[in-house]
Amino acid sequence: MNEKHIQISGIFLTLFYTLFIAWLYWVEPKSLEEVPAKAQTTLENVTTKTQVAIGTYEIDQAKFDEGLQAFRKDNFVVARDNFERADTEKRDAKTQFYIAYSFYRQGFGKLSNDDALFKQGLEQTNRVVTLDKNFKSDDANLQLKTPVELKNEFEEGLRVTASDFNPLRVLRERK
Amino acid sequence: MSKVQSPKSKDEETISVELSFAHDELLENPTDEEIITLVKTKNRKRLSIPTSKDQKPKTKNQKSFLQYIVLPLIFLTTALLGGLRLNAADNGFLFLKPPLVCLIFASILLVLFFRANLIRLNGWFTENFSLTKNLANGCVLLTLFFASTQIFNSLLPERGLPFWIVAFCFFWTLWNNLFAEFDTKRLVQSLGGMFGLAFVVKYLVLAGLTAPTNKGWIQGIFENPTQEAFTWLLDLPKFAPATGYIQFFALIFYLIGLFLLKPETNKN
Repeated sequence: MNEKHIQISGIFLTLFYTLFIAWLYWVEPKSLEEVPAKAQTTLENVTTKTQVAIGTYEIDQAKFDEGLQAFRKDNFVVARDNFERADTEKRDAKTQFYIAYSFYRQGFGKLSNDDALFKQGLEQTNRVVTLDKNFKSDDANLQLKTPVELKNEFEEGLRVTASDFNPLRVLRERK
Repeated sequence: MSKVQSPKSKDEETISVELSFAHDELLENPTDEEIITLVKTKNRKRLSIPTSKDQKPKTKNQKSFLQYIVLPLIFLTTALLGGLRLNAADNGFLFLKPPLVCLIFASILLVLFFRANLIRLNGWFTENFSLTKNLANGCVLLTLFFASTQIFNSLLPERGLPFWIVAFCFFWTLWNNLFAEFDTKRLVQSLGGMFGLAFVVKYLVLAGLTAPTNKGWIQGIFENPTQEAFTWLLDLPKFAPATGYIQFFALIFYLIGLFLLKPETNKN
Protein backbone atom coordinates (compact mmCIF):
# COMPACT_ATOMS: atom_id res chain seq x y z
CA MET A 1 0.00 0.00 0.00
CA ASN A 2 1.72 3.16 -1.09
CA GLU A 3 1.51 6.52 0.64
CA LYS A 4 -1.09 7.96 -1.71
CA HIS A 5 -3.48 5.07 -1.05
CA ILE A 6 -3.07 5.58 2.69
CA GLN A 7 -3.83 9.29 2.29
CA ILE A 8 -6.96 8.60 0.24
CA SER A 9 -8.10 5.97 2.76
CA GLY A 10 -7.47 8.50 5.52
CA ILE A 11 -9.62 11.13 3.80
CA PHE A 12 -12.53 8.72 3.31
CA LEU A 13 -12.20 7.31 6.81
CA THR A 14 -12.22 10.80 8.29
CA LEU A 15 -15.26 11.85 6.27
CA PHE A 16 -17.19 8.67 7.10
CA TYR A 17 -16.38 8.81 10.82
CA THR A 18 -17.17 12.55 10.97
CA LEU A 19 -20.55 11.96 9.32
CA PHE A 20 -21.26 9.11 11.72
CA ILE A 21 -20.47 11.30 14.74
CA ALA A 22 -22.55 14.19 13.35
CA TRP A 23 -25.42 11.77 12.76
CA LEU A 24 -25.17 10.41 16.33
CA TYR A 25 -25.30 13.92 17.75
CA TRP A 26 -28.24 14.74 15.49
CA VAL A 27 -30.46 11.73 16.24
CA GLU A 28 -29.32 11.39 19.87
CA PRO A 29 -30.00 7.69 20.53
CA LYS A 30 -30.62 6.94 24.21
CA SER A 31 -28.88 3.56 24.07
CA LEU A 32 -26.96 1.30 21.72
CA GLU A 33 -30.17 -0.66 21.05
CA GLU A 34 -31.78 2.48 19.66
CA VAL A 35 -29.06 3.05 17.08
CA PRO A 36 -30.40 0.63 14.38
CA ALA A 37 -33.96 2.02 14.73
CA LYS A 38 -32.67 5.57 14.39
CA ALA A 39 -30.62 4.54 11.38
CA GLN A 40 -33.70 3.09 9.70
CA THR A 41 -35.73 6.25 10.38
CA THR A 42 -32.95 8.40 8.99
CA LEU A 43 -32.72 6.22 5.90
CA GLU A 44 -36.47 6.54 5.30
CA ASN A 45 -36.31 10.31 5.74
CA VAL A 46 -33.40 10.60 3.36
CA THR A 47 -35.23 8.46 0.80
CA THR A 48 -38.36 10.62 1.05
CA LYS A 49 -36.38 13.85 0.79
CA THR A 50 -34.58 12.50 -2.24
CA GLN A 51 -37.91 11.56 -3.83
CA VAL A 52 -39.19 15.08 -3.19
CA ALA A 53 -36.04 16.58 -4.67
CA ILE A 54 -36.24 14.54 -7.86
CA GLY A 55 -40.02 14.84 -8.14
CA THR A 56 -40.97 11.19 -7.62
CA TYR A 57 -42.56 11.63 -4.21
CA GLU A 58 -45.76 9.65 -3.61
CA ILE A 59 -47.85 9.13 -0.53
CA ASP A 60 -48.07 5.75 1.17
CA GLN A 61 -51.36 4.53 -0.32
CA ALA A 62 -51.86 1.74 2.22
CA LYS A 63 -51.59 4.16 5.14
CA PHE A 64 -53.90 6.58 3.34
CA ASP A 65 -56.54 3.85 2.90
CA GLU A 66 -56.27 2.92 6.57
CA GLY A 67 -56.70 6.57 7.46
CA LEU A 68 -59.74 6.87 5.21
CA GLN A 69 -61.37 3.85 6.82
CA ALA A 70 -60.80 5.29 10.28
CA PHE A 71 -62.11 8.68 9.07
CA ARG A 72 -65.33 7.09 7.87
CA LYS A 73 -65.75 5.31 11.20
CA ASP A 74 -65.40 8.69 12.96
CA ASN A 75 -62.14 7.56 14.56
CA PHE A 76 -60.45 10.87 13.80
CA VAL A 77 -57.36 10.56 15.99
CA VAL A 78 -56.33 7.30 14.31
CA ALA A 79 -57.30 8.71 10.93
CA ARG A 80 -55.05 11.75 11.37
CA ASP A 81 -52.19 9.58 12.52
CA ASN A 82 -52.46 7.41 9.42
CA PHE A 83 -52.82 10.39 7.10
CA GLU A 84 -49.73 11.98 8.60
CA ARG A 85 -47.78 8.76 8.15
CA ALA A 86 -49.04 8.46 4.59
CA ASP A 87 -47.87 11.97 3.71
CA THR A 88 -44.78 12.53 5.84
CA GLU A 89 -43.62 15.48 3.77
CA LYS A 90 -47.06 17.18 3.92
CA ARG A 91 -47.08 17.70 0.18
CA ASP A 92 -50.29 15.98 -0.91
CA ALA A 93 -53.28 18.33 -0.93
CA LYS A 94 -55.83 15.50 -0.80
CA THR A 95 -54.35 13.92 2.34
CA GLN A 96 -53.91 17.29 4.00
CA PHE A 97 -57.54 18.13 3.18
CA TYR A 98 -58.71 14.97 4.93
CA ILE A 99 -56.64 15.90 7.99
CA ALA A 100 -58.29 19.34 8.04
CA TYR A 101 -61.71 17.77 7.59
CA SER A 102 -61.05 15.39 10.49
CA PHE A 103 -60.50 18.44 12.73
CA TYR A 104 -63.84 19.82 11.60
CA ARG A 105 -65.79 16.61 12.21
CA GLN A 106 -64.12 15.93 15.54
CA GLY A 107 -64.56 19.50 16.76
CA PHE A 108 -68.15 19.91 15.61
CA GLY A 109 -70.71 20.09 18.40
CA LYS A 110 -74.48 20.61 18.42
CA LEU A 111 -74.23 23.11 21.27
CA SER A 112 -70.71 24.41 20.87
CA ASN A 113 -67.65 23.59 18.80
CA ASP A 114 -64.23 22.67 20.13
CA ASP A 115 -62.28 25.85 19.49
CA ALA A 116 -58.86 24.23 19.89
CA LEU A 117 -59.58 21.65 17.20
CA PHE A 118 -61.13 24.26 14.94
CA LYS A 119 -58.04 26.44 15.20
CA GLN A 120 -55.84 23.50 14.23
CA GLY A 121 -58.25 22.74 11.40
CA LEU A 122 -58.02 26.30 10.16
CA GLU A 123 -54.23 26.13 10.06
CA GLN A 124 -54.42 22.81 8.26
CA THR A 125 -56.86 24.24 5.69
CA ASN A 126 -54.47 27.11 5.03
CA ARG A 127 -51.80 24.52 4.31
CA VAL A 128 -54.08 22.85 1.75
CA VAL A 129 -54.65 26.22 0.06
CA THR A 130 -50.88 26.76 -0.07
CA LEU A 131 -50.38 23.35 -1.68
CA ASP A 132 -53.22 23.62 -4.20
CA LYS A 133 -55.58 26.57 -4.12
CA ASN A 134 -57.86 24.96 -6.74
CA PHE A 135 -58.18 21.70 -4.87
CA LYS A 136 -61.60 20.02 -4.99
CA SER A 137 -62.38 16.75 -3.28
CA ASP A 138 -64.00 13.93 -5.25
CA ASP A 139 -65.28 12.16 -2.13
CA ALA A 140 -69.09 11.95 -2.30
CA ASN A 141 -69.32 11.57 1.50
CA LEU A 142 -67.90 15.05 2.07
CA GLN A 143 -70.33 17.93 1.80
CA LEU A 144 -67.58 20.51 1.93
CA LYS A 145 -65.62 19.89 -1.23
CA THR A 146 -63.13 22.74 -1.29
CA PRO A 147 -60.71 24.24 1.24
CA VAL A 148 -62.53 27.57 0.95
CA GLU A 149 -65.80 26.05 2.17
CA LEU A 150 -64.02 24.25 4.97
CA LYS A 151 -62.19 27.40 5.96
CA ASN A 152 -65.47 29.31 6.09
CA GLU A 153 -66.93 26.62 8.34
CA PHE A 154 -63.96 26.90 10.74
CA GLU A 155 -64.10 30.69 10.80
CA GLU A 156 -67.85 30.70 11.43
CA GLY A 157 -67.39 28.14 14.18
CA LEU A 158 -64.71 30.20 15.91
CA ARG A 159 -66.62 33.49 15.69
CA VAL A 160 -69.05 34.34 18.53
CA THR A 161 -72.27 35.80 17.10
CA ALA A 162 -75.89 36.21 18.20
CA SER A 163 -76.85 33.14 16.18
CA ASP A 164 -74.74 31.04 18.52
CA PHE A 165 -77.48 31.48 21.13
CA ASN A 166 -80.24 30.33 18.80
CA PRO A 167 -81.74 27.15 20.34
CA LEU A 168 -82.47 25.81 16.88
CA ARG A 169 -78.72 25.34 16.42
CA VAL A 170 -79.07 21.91 17.99
CA LEU A 171 -80.91 20.80 14.87
CA ARG A 172 -78.06 21.56 12.50
CA GLU A 173 -76.20 18.65 10.97
CA ARG A 174 -72.52 17.97 10.65
CA LYS A 175 -71.36 18.28 7.08
CA MET B 1 53.75 28.95 13.27
CA SER B 2 52.86 25.80 11.61
CA LYS B 3 49.41 25.55 10.10
CA VAL B 4 49.72 21.86 9.45
CA GLN B 5 47.42 19.87 11.71
CA SER B 6 46.85 16.19 12.01
CA PRO B 7 43.60 15.17 10.28
CA LYS B 8 40.79 14.82 12.82
CA SER B 9 37.55 13.06 12.45
CA LYS B 10 34.23 14.93 12.77
CA ASP B 11 33.66 13.50 16.24
CA GLU B 12 37.00 14.73 17.40
CA GLU B 13 36.24 18.26 16.24
CA THR B 14 32.83 18.29 17.90
CA ILE B 15 34.17 17.07 21.19
CA SER B 16 37.01 19.53 21.07
CA VAL B 17 34.57 22.40 20.61
CA GLU B 18 32.30 21.06 23.37
CA LEU B 19 35.20 20.85 25.76
CA SER B 20 36.41 24.33 24.97
CA PHE B 21 33.18 26.10 25.76
CA ALA B 22 31.26 23.96 28.21
CA HIS B 23 30.13 26.07 31.16
CA ASP B 24 33.11 28.41 30.86
CA GLU B 25 34.94 26.10 33.20
CA LEU B 26 37.34 24.44 30.83
CA LEU B 27 39.80 27.19 30.04
CA GLU B 28 42.48 25.13 28.40
CA ASN B 29 42.13 23.03 25.29
CA PRO B 30 42.47 19.31 25.98
CA THR B 31 45.49 17.45 24.87
CA ASP B 32 45.43 15.03 21.93
CA GLU B 33 45.52 12.07 24.29
CA GLU B 34 42.43 13.29 26.14
CA ILE B 35 40.60 13.78 22.85
CA ILE B 36 41.48 10.28 21.68
CA THR B 37 40.26 8.83 24.98
CA LEU B 38 36.96 10.71 24.70
CA VAL B 39 36.40 9.58 21.11
CA LYS B 40 37.05 5.99 22.06
CA THR B 41 34.62 6.23 24.97
CA LYS B 42 31.97 7.78 22.78
CA ASN B 43 32.36 5.17 20.07
CA ARG B 44 32.17 2.43 22.68
CA LYS B 45 28.93 3.89 24.00
CA ARG B 46 27.54 4.02 20.48
CA LEU B 47 28.43 0.43 19.85
CA SER B 48 26.96 -0.73 23.12
CA ILE B 49 23.37 0.47 22.25
CA PRO B 50 21.32 -2.71 22.08
CA THR B 51 19.42 -3.40 18.91
CA SER B 52 16.70 -5.95 18.59
CA LYS B 53 14.33 -7.11 15.90
CA ASP B 54 11.50 -5.11 17.49
CA GLN B 55 13.34 -1.84 17.09
CA LYS B 56 13.29 -1.68 13.34
CA PRO B 57 13.24 1.84 11.96
CA LYS B 58 9.79 2.99 10.92
CA THR B 59 9.08 2.77 7.25
CA LYS B 60 7.46 5.61 5.34
CA ASN B 61 4.23 3.61 5.12
CA GLN B 62 4.08 3.14 8.87
CA LYS B 63 4.47 6.86 9.39
CA SER B 64 1.79 7.63 6.84
CA PHE B 65 -0.51 5.08 8.44
CA LEU B 66 0.02 6.69 11.82
CA GLN B 67 -0.53 10.17 10.50
CA TYR B 68 -3.45 9.69 8.14
CA ILE B 69 -5.34 6.78 9.70
CA VAL B 70 -4.51 6.48 13.39
CA LEU B 71 -4.32 10.18 14.23
CA PRO B 72 -7.74 11.11 12.74
CA LEU B 73 -9.25 8.06 14.44
CA ILE B 74 -7.88 9.19 17.80
CA PHE B 75 -9.07 12.76 17.35
CA LEU B 76 -12.49 11.75 16.07
CA THR B 77 -12.95 9.30 18.94
CA THR B 78 -12.18 12.21 21.26
CA ALA B 79 -14.79 14.25 19.39
CA LEU B 80 -17.31 11.42 19.78
CA LEU B 81 -16.70 10.94 23.49
CA GLY B 82 -16.29 14.62 24.37
CA GLY B 83 -19.99 15.43 24.25
CA LEU B 84 -21.24 12.11 25.59
CA ARG B 85 -22.81 12.02 29.05
CA LEU B 86 -24.79 9.30 30.77
CA ASN B 87 -28.10 10.19 32.35
CA ALA B 88 -28.10 9.57 36.10
CA ALA B 89 -31.66 8.26 36.12
CA ASP B 90 -31.45 5.49 33.52
CA ASN B 91 -27.83 5.57 32.28
CA GLY B 92 -29.15 6.62 28.86
CA PHE B 93 -26.87 8.42 26.41
CA LEU B 94 -26.97 12.19 26.29
CA PHE B 95 -25.20 13.78 23.34
CA LEU B 96 -24.45 17.40 24.22
CA LYS B 97 -23.65 19.65 21.30
CA PRO B 98 -20.76 22.03 21.95
CA PRO B 99 -21.69 25.60 22.86
CA LEU B 100 -20.33 28.40 20.69
CA VAL B 101 -17.66 29.30 23.23
CA CYS B 102 -16.05 25.86 22.69
CA LEU B 103 -15.56 26.64 18.99
CA ILE B 104 -13.92 29.95 19.92
CA PHE B 105 -11.61 28.26 22.42
CA ALA B 106 -10.70 25.57 19.91
CA SER B 107 -9.84 28.22 17.33
CA ILE B 108 -7.60 30.05 19.81
CA LEU B 109 -5.98 26.73 20.71
CA LEU B 110 -5.17 26.01 17.07
CA VAL B 111 -3.60 29.46 16.74
CA LEU B 112 -1.53 28.62 19.81
CA PHE B 113 -0.43 25.36 18.22
CA PHE B 114 0.79 27.28 15.20
CA ARG B 115 2.52 29.93 17.31
CA ALA B 116 4.33 27.39 19.45
CA ASN B 117 5.37 25.40 16.38
CA LEU B 118 3.49 22.32 17.47
CA ILE B 119 2.18 22.55 13.93
CA ARG B 120 4.11 24.38 11.23
CA LEU B 121 1.75 25.61 8.58
CA ASN B 122 4.27 25.37 5.77
CA GLY B 123 5.10 21.85 6.88
CA TRP B 124 1.47 20.79 6.44
CA PHE B 125 0.35 22.72 3.41
CA THR B 126 2.59 23.60 0.53
CA GLU B 127 2.31 23.71 -3.22
CA ASN B 128 5.15 21.20 -3.40
CA PHE B 129 2.82 18.53 -1.97
CA SER B 130 0.32 16.68 -4.09
CA LEU B 131 -3.34 17.64 -3.86
CA THR B 132 -4.11 14.38 -2.07
CA LYS B 133 -1.50 15.01 0.56
CA ASN B 134 -2.70 18.56 1.15
CA LEU B 135 -6.27 17.28 1.44
CA ALA B 136 -5.28 14.48 3.81
CA ASN B 137 -3.34 16.95 5.95
CA GLY B 138 -6.36 19.25 5.97
CA CYS B 139 -8.52 16.35 7.18
CA VAL B 140 -6.10 15.62 10.03
CA LEU B 141 -6.13 19.27 11.14
CA LEU B 142 -9.92 19.36 10.86
CA THR B 143 -10.18 16.36 13.17
CA LEU B 144 -7.80 18.14 15.56
CA PHE B 145 -10.18 21.11 15.56
CA PHE B 146 -13.21 18.88 16.22
CA ALA B 147 -11.39 17.11 19.04
CA SER B 148 -10.29 20.42 20.59
CA THR B 149 -13.86 21.72 20.45
CA GLN B 150 -15.22 18.60 22.08
CA ILE B 151 -12.51 18.57 24.76
CA PHE B 152 -13.66 22.03 25.83
CA ASN B 153 -17.25 20.75 25.64
CA SER B 154 -16.22 17.89 27.89
CA LEU B 155 -14.38 19.98 30.47
CA LEU B 156 -16.68 22.98 30.69
CA PRO B 157 -19.53 22.59 33.17
CA GLU B 158 -22.82 22.44 31.31
CA ARG B 159 -24.58 25.50 32.72
CA GLY B 160 -24.92 27.97 35.53
CA LEU B 161 -22.24 29.80 37.46
CA PRO B 162 -19.57 27.04 37.15
CA PHE B 163 -19.85 27.24 33.35
CA TRP B 164 -19.07 30.94 33.33
CA ILE B 165 -16.27 30.69 35.90
CA VAL B 166 -14.47 27.81 34.15
CA ALA B 167 -15.06 29.37 30.72
CA PHE B 168 -13.52 32.60 31.97
CA CYS B 169 -10.51 30.74 33.36
CA PHE B 170 -10.02 28.95 30.02
CA PHE B 171 -10.33 32.20 28.15
CA TRP B 172 -7.93 34.01 30.47
CA THR B 173 -5.30 31.27 30.15
CA LEU B 174 -5.61 30.94 26.38
CA TRP B 175 -5.61 34.69 25.85
CA ASN B 176 -2.45 35.13 27.97
CA ASN B 177 -0.76 32.23 26.20
CA LEU B 178 -1.56 33.80 22.89
CA PHE B 179 0.86 36.64 23.60
CA ALA B 180 3.50 34.68 25.50
CA GLU B 181 6.69 33.27 24.04
CA PHE B 182 6.21 29.53 23.95
CA ASP B 183 8.04 26.46 22.93
CA THR B 184 6.23 23.28 22.02
CA LYS B 185 7.09 21.40 25.20
CA ARG B 186 5.91 24.18 27.48
CA LEU B 187 2.69 24.61 25.53
CA VAL B 188 1.84 20.93 25.84
CA GLN B 189 2.74 21.00 29.56
CA SER B 190 0.58 24.08 30.05
CA LEU B 191 -2.35 22.52 28.21
CA GLY B 192 -1.97 19.27 30.12
CA GLY B 193 -2.03 21.20 33.38
CA MET B 194 -5.02 23.32 32.36
CA PHE B 195 -7.07 20.37 31.10
CA GLY B 196 -6.12 18.23 34.11
CA LEU B 197 -7.23 20.94 36.53
CA ALA B 198 -10.48 21.50 34.66
CA PHE B 199 -11.14 17.75 34.73
CA VAL B 200 -10.57 17.60 38.49
CA VAL B 201 -12.85 20.61 39.04
CA LYS B 202 -15.70 19.24 36.96
CA TYR B 203 -15.60 15.50 37.46
CA LEU B 204 -14.31 15.33 41.03
CA VAL B 205 -15.17 18.56 42.84
CA LEU B 206 -18.44 19.56 41.18
CA ALA B 207 -19.55 15.93 40.72
CA GLY B 208 -18.88 15.43 44.45
CA LEU B 209 -21.12 18.38 45.26
CA THR B 210 -24.00 17.09 43.13
CA ALA B 211 -26.84 15.45 45.02
CA PRO B 212 -27.76 11.87 44.06
CA THR B 213 -30.84 11.47 41.90
CA ASN B 214 -32.45 8.38 43.34
CA LYS B 215 -33.84 10.26 46.31
CA GLY B 216 -36.72 12.70 46.41
CA TRP B 217 -35.80 16.30 47.09
CA ILE B 218 -37.38 16.30 50.56
CA GLN B 219 -35.45 13.17 51.54
CA GLY B 220 -32.37 14.70 49.95
CA ILE B 221 -32.67 17.88 52.01
CA PHE B 222 -32.75 15.88 55.23
CA GLU B 223 -30.01 13.42 54.29
CA ASN B 224 -27.65 15.56 52.15
CA PRO B 225 -28.52 19.18 52.81
CA THR B 226 -25.14 20.48 51.55
CA GLN B 227 -25.26 18.57 48.29
CA GLU B 228 -28.86 19.56 47.69
CA ALA B 229 -27.99 23.20 48.37
CA PHE B 230 -24.97 23.18 46.03
CA THR B 231 -26.90 21.37 43.32
CA TRP B 232 -29.64 23.97 43.51
CA LEU B 233 -27.36 26.99 43.88
CA LEU B 234 -24.86 26.03 41.18
CA ASP B 235 -27.49 24.47 38.91
CA LEU B 236 -25.44 21.28 38.64
CA PRO B 237 -26.66 18.64 36.17
CA LYS B 238 -26.94 15.08 37.43
CA PHE B 239 -24.95 12.56 35.40
CA ALA B 240 -24.09 8.93 36.04
CA PRO B 241 -20.62 8.33 37.54
CA ALA B 242 -19.56 6.54 34.34
CA THR B 243 -19.55 9.95 32.60
CA GLY B 244 -16.35 10.86 34.42
CA TYR B 245 -14.65 7.68 33.20
CA ILE B 246 -15.70 8.32 29.61
CA GLN B 247 -14.41 11.88 29.74
CA PHE B 248 -11.16 10.72 31.32
CA PHE B 249 -10.51 8.52 28.31
CA ALA B 250 -11.55 11.32 25.96
CA LEU B 251 -8.90 13.55 27.54
CA ILE B 252 -6.28 10.81 27.41
CA PHE B 253 -7.02 10.17 23.73
CA TYR B 254 -6.68 13.86 23.00
CA LEU B 255 -3.32 14.14 24.76
CA ILE B 256 -2.06 11.01 22.98
CA GLY B 257 -3.16 12.59 19.69
CA LEU B 258 -1.22 15.76 20.50
CA PHE B 259 1.81 13.66 21.39
CA LEU B 260 1.64 11.86 18.03
CA LEU B 261 1.13 15.07 16.07
CA LYS B 262 4.18 16.04 14.05
CA PRO B 263 5.12 19.67 13.39
CA GLU B 264 5.80 18.91 9.74
CA THR B 265 4.58 16.18 7.46
CA ASN B 266 7.41 16.35 4.97
CA LYS B 267 10.19 15.43 7.39
CA ASN B 268 10.91 12.06 8.91
